[in-house]
Amino acid sequence: MADVVAEQVRGTAPAGRLHPGRAVPRPRRRWSRYSGRTFYLFVSPWVLGFLLLTVVPLGYAFAMSLTNFDGSSSLWRWVGLRNYRELLQDSAAWSSLVRTLVYTAIVVPLSVAIALGLAVLLNRRLRAVGLFRTVFFLPSVVPVVATAIMWKLVFNRDAGLLNAILERLGVGAVTWLVDPTAFYALIILTLWGLGGGMVIMLAALQGVPVELEEAAVVDGAGRWRVFWHVTVPMISPVIFFQIVTGVIMSFQVLVQPLLLAETNSIGAVTNVPSSTHLYMVQVYQEYFANQRFGYGSAMLWVFFLIILIITVLVQRSSRFWVYYEVDRDERD
Amino acid sequence: MSDGHTPGLFSRRRFLAGSALVVGGAATAPLLGACDASSSGSGESSGTTTLTVMYASNELTKEHIADFETKNPGIKITLIENDDTRLNAMLASGNPPDLVRGAAVGSANNNARGLATSLDPYLEKSSVLKKDDLLPVNDSWRWDGKKIGAGPYYGITKDWSQDATLWYNQALFAQAKVAPLSTTEPVTYDQLLEIARKLTVQKDGKTVVYGLGIEWQWGLYGPLAAMVMSQGGSLYSEDLTQTDVTTPQAKRALKWLVDLAQSGAAPSSLNPLADGADLSTFMAKRMAITQDGYWYGGNFIEAAADLKDNIRMAPAPVMGDKRVSPCYAGQGAWIPAKAKNKDAAWKLMEYFMGGPPAEERAKSGWGMPALKSLLPLMPQELPYQQEAFRTAQAELAYNVPLPDSPYVTIANWITTLNQYIDQAARKKITLDVAAQKITEDINKLLKQGKDRIG
Repeated sequence: MADVVAEQVRGTAPAGRLHPGRAVPRPRRRWSRYSGRTFYLFVSPWVLGFLLLTVVPLGYAFAMSLTNFDGSSSLWRWVGLRNYRELLQDSAAWSSLVRTLVYTAIVVPLSVAIALGLAVLLNRRLRAVGLFRTVFFLPSVVPVVATAIMWKLVFNRDAGLLNAILERLGVGAVTWLVDPTAFYALIILTLWGLGGGMVIMLAALQGVPVELEEAAVVDGAGRWRVFWHVTVPMISPVIFFQIVTGVIMSFQVLVQPLLLAETNSIGAVTNVPSSTHLYMVQVYQEYFANQRFGYGSAMLWVFFLIILIITVLVQRSSRFWVYYEVDRDERD
Repeated sequence: MSDGHTPGLFSRRRFLAGSALVVGGAATAPLLGACDASSSGSGESSGTTTLTVMYASNELTKEHIADFETKNPGIKITLIENDDTRLNAMLASGNPPDLVRGAAVGSANNNARGLATSLDPYLEKSSVLKKDDLLPVNDSWRWDGKKIGAGPYYGITKDWSQDATLWYNQALFAQAKVAPLSTTEPVTYDQLLEIARKLTVQKDGKTVVYGLGIEWQWGLYGPLAAMVMSQGGSLYSEDLTQTDVTTPQAKRALKWLVDLAQSGAAPSSLNPLADGADLSTFMAKRMAITQDGYWYGGNFIEAAADLKDNIRMAPAPVMGDKRVSPCYAGQGAWIPAKAKNKDAAWKLMEYFMGGPPAEERAKSGWGMPALKSLLPLMPQELPYQQEAFRTAQAELAYNVPLPDSPYVTIANWITTLNQYIDQAARKKITLDVAAQKITEDINKLLKQGKDRIG
């Protein structure tokens, strides 16, 4: 009967089958018509946003990558795949890509590990834990421009806080914001804002059932084993999410190297040190310093494909280490 | 997703098809609208012209705008803060501002691409801005299809400076027991470097006083070009399609820059200033000389009395036999070719470049006026202002335009120079290799520019 009711609700059961012998009035309008509209109505904001702000610009950028458009004049023409061929031989672009990969390989594991470590520390019953949580979260809500200016002052060779501390320790003044140390300064600046990740980790930790940890303790597991064999698997989907979004965000870093550069409004992208000249900085330079919108678009498309491949690889790897509380078949 | 009983209700195909239709419709509407760009943005309605102006709000102030609107009741100004990225988008969409801030040096690129309006028809009729009143700095706005300095004007400079001239703090010279610079006779660049070394004070690996600042972080194209011109050299071929910085003149200039960076006597890419400019360091009496031009004098009006007493201005240094004192930028304004309200934009141009704001600027000492008729208004009350006035007037005789090819931008030069001069200063590459690489990279960009512009 339940199946029949369900079919009736869906509008697929023949009229009259619910109560044989009694005429059941046919619904005036089928639910399926409503449900279809409702479905489209609810998903339309996201779909519209995705298509208009992602798919259309992607298509537009691809079309532009087949031209020598300079970004402002009508003096452009189709150049076919010339930009892509040039990119294959562009040592500056590939160097910046390698630099970006190294940056990502350092920043993502560090930020996930530190965020998890902080979350574990702040998941305990401590006095003023709320204050600590706020303090650690605070840097992530400070605008990136303010953060970068603050760190530039901290890193300043002649008057910076960091060198003042190093001086007390007997270490000579370091010129932080030039090659090669600018790279480390960029990593520190990035890690400074990991409070957002910490909060997500904290939420995940608080979702781990206490019974599981208690059961492990009853079975004789120590704190480390409980953490490694119970807690980490339980929050592995969140770690996985952090890694995927972290990789994508690290690949796309642009503003921080520009802000940390020995630059101002006149110099703009022209003064970014080599060590922080990441791929997106190179793209930005092609667009706005070199007026090569076509070539910059080709660089972006290739980058998009690289990010896609790496994301798929990370996704594939998840089946070996990410634990879901539901069966894989159910999830699929 | 389908339940088997309602085949295709939420099928992927239907979903994607439906979405595509929605997006297609949504995307087409604005595209069709864009065909008639005049339907949005600046324009005229009910007898009032709305002028869209992209400028710096600390230069074209609220007071200026209010005054202009009072004097021109049919015109309202919408000010957009200066933003190159936004300008690009506005130009690309065919809906540019009516008046745009821009520099004379480097304008060849825009002019050759047909982005700017010729101002000659307006200049010929104007009673405020006249061709014979324009100082030569405005010649960098001219473009005849092959070179700058001839042909129609495509912009007007607001104010300018001989940017290679020097300001120095006599007190720091006295402290280092170094004779002050002459305010009439130029030093050579080699002498300047030697003096800068003597003036520099370092302690525990930190620089307490910099001997010199050349605004390294603003770009090295101007200094390099000035040094090459001072030796009688040239950066470009006759048709502006090729460069060569492997010439003896260019290599000497590059070597001076590398030597300066390595000396530690000035902020450079090896030791940049945190705020990207010399001003705060100079005002804090931690920099003895700064190569900044006349406009810098505006900063000293409210400086401490002891600093004011010790400020002096010196002529542009020389590297060869020829005295040159070029302007590195010459900020002003231009009217885009696709501007909707060119006549109203010209009225604002007249007001801002030749009206009360121009007189205010000339009197303030924030740069030299770009009109001959306004030169007498330059401030001469304080001793440093009187000396600076005399020095700046004398430098007028040596003012020459910086070379400008339409096929590359100044930003291209700055990026390339920064990259290789930095590597040479770090001794990662030799000076010869740096010169060769700069030549190759800029020639590649020139070729691409030529390919685009034709």
